[in-house]
Amino acid sequence: MARCQGTVESLCQGLLDLDDDRFSAMCSAFGYLQEWPDLGAMCGANLAVPAVAAAAAPSAGDGNDSSSCSGSGGIRKRRPDAYLDAKGGANDMSKRPRGKQLTGLSEIAAPGKGKQERPKAGTKKKAEAASTAAAAAAAAAAAAGQKTDYIHVRARRGQATDSHSLAERVRRERISERMRYLQELVPGCSKVTGKAGMLDEIINYVQSLQKQVEFLSMKIAASNPVVSFDIVEDLFGRQLKQAAALPAMALPAGQLEPSCLQMSPMQQVHPSAAAGGSTGFGLEMVVNNLYAPAAASCPVSAAPSVSAAAGPSTIEPCLNVNGTAAAWDIGAQNLFSGFDAQFQSVESDCLLDNLKMEM
Amino acid sequence: MSSRRSSSSRGNISEDEINELISKLQALLPSSRRRGSGQASTTKLLKETCSYIKSLHREVDDLSDRLSDLMSTMDHNSPGAEIIRSILRS
Repeated sequence: MARCQGTVESLCQGLLDLDDDRFSAMCSAFGYLQEWPDLGAMCGANLAVPAVAAAAAPSAGDGNDSSSCSGSGGIRKRRPDAYLDAKGGANDMSKRPRGKQLTGLSEIAAPGKGKQERPKAGTKKKAEAASTAAAAAAAAAAAAGQKTDYIHVRARRGQATDSHSLAERVRRERISERMRYLQELVPGCSKVTGKAGMLDEIINYVQSLQKQVEFLSMKIAASNPVVSFDIVEDLFGRQLKQAAALPAMALPAGQLEPSCLQMSPMQQVHPSAAAGGSTGFGLEMVVNNLYAPAAASCPVSAAPSVSAAAGPSTIEPCLNVNGTAAAWDIGAQNLFSGFDAQFQSVESDCLLDNLKMEM
Repeated sequence: MSSRRSSSSRGNISEDEINELISKLQALLPSSRRRGSGQASTTKLLKETCSYIKSLHREVDDLSDRLSDLMSTMDHNSPGAEIIRSILRS
């Protein structure tokens, strides 16, 4: 019986990908239909659905079933077998291994059951049915159909007793099937014994994977601007040298003072960027690289202005890469067109904000 | 029969544990989170877990590839790359 239900459920699983809830609902709906003859006449898939319903009904709602049951075991037994067979035949395609296994089990187990409960003709029938092919199964189903509803009820009642174990066995089987699959996916899972441990392992693994993904995407987000930094260096290294060579050198000390003042927002940017991570370092790199030639070629007072220019110019492409601030283009270009370009502290603040956002 | 009974009781215990873990697992899955807390069948959940783990694997691989690409493109700029590498390593 257990096997019967198992097969039934497995079939059901194969045919209908239903949730347990819907499954049981369907079962109860089907359970009281007295269409067995018709169904028996039908073959394969059609048969399977009611059979599933019958099998599932006990597992889902034992109360109903048992209340409506009046039990003589013989028929009860016979009937599930018939269904089993029918199902086994129909099922073979979808759940081959299990179907086979279950059928085999039913053959073996059927006698045992028969002994323990009441001796019945059913056992023999079971064995026969189990061994028969799909055609035979159809015939058996038809035979079962003749017995109509009262058999149906009994079958349920009979199943009610083992429904728990049956349902659980089926469920566990399904779970272990998936678990085996997951075992392949999750490293170290094969060492763990027991489903609970495995599930634990799986949960941990999923969590670690999630973290890993998060971490990696964070790294990439952080290193993306840094990558653009190569190009940036090429582009702005040239421009900056020009800028440092031409206007900064030409500028009188008085005009340089405002650009020195610009350093203060720049310096604010700096620590925050550095705290933010790689962008800050990239920024620092540029500043340092550019600082050296600028300092070499410029008066001392020009050096801060160069670094001030270098800062925003580096940041500008970074921001562009991330698609955050187009406004910065303007600011940086103004800067490059000459140091006299008014580099407002407002812009610097804006930059700061953008940078922070980016971080 | 007796073996069946014992297995069923064993099944009940592990079923509880499994249910507990399953709901934990369910919370981790984006799809089941979307669907709400309704108890999906364990099989379905495990199926989803399989596909989710696979997708996570794919994502991790993809991201690692991208990251290594980034790193390789940086190699010529050794000072910057080193700094960045040290940052990334942390």
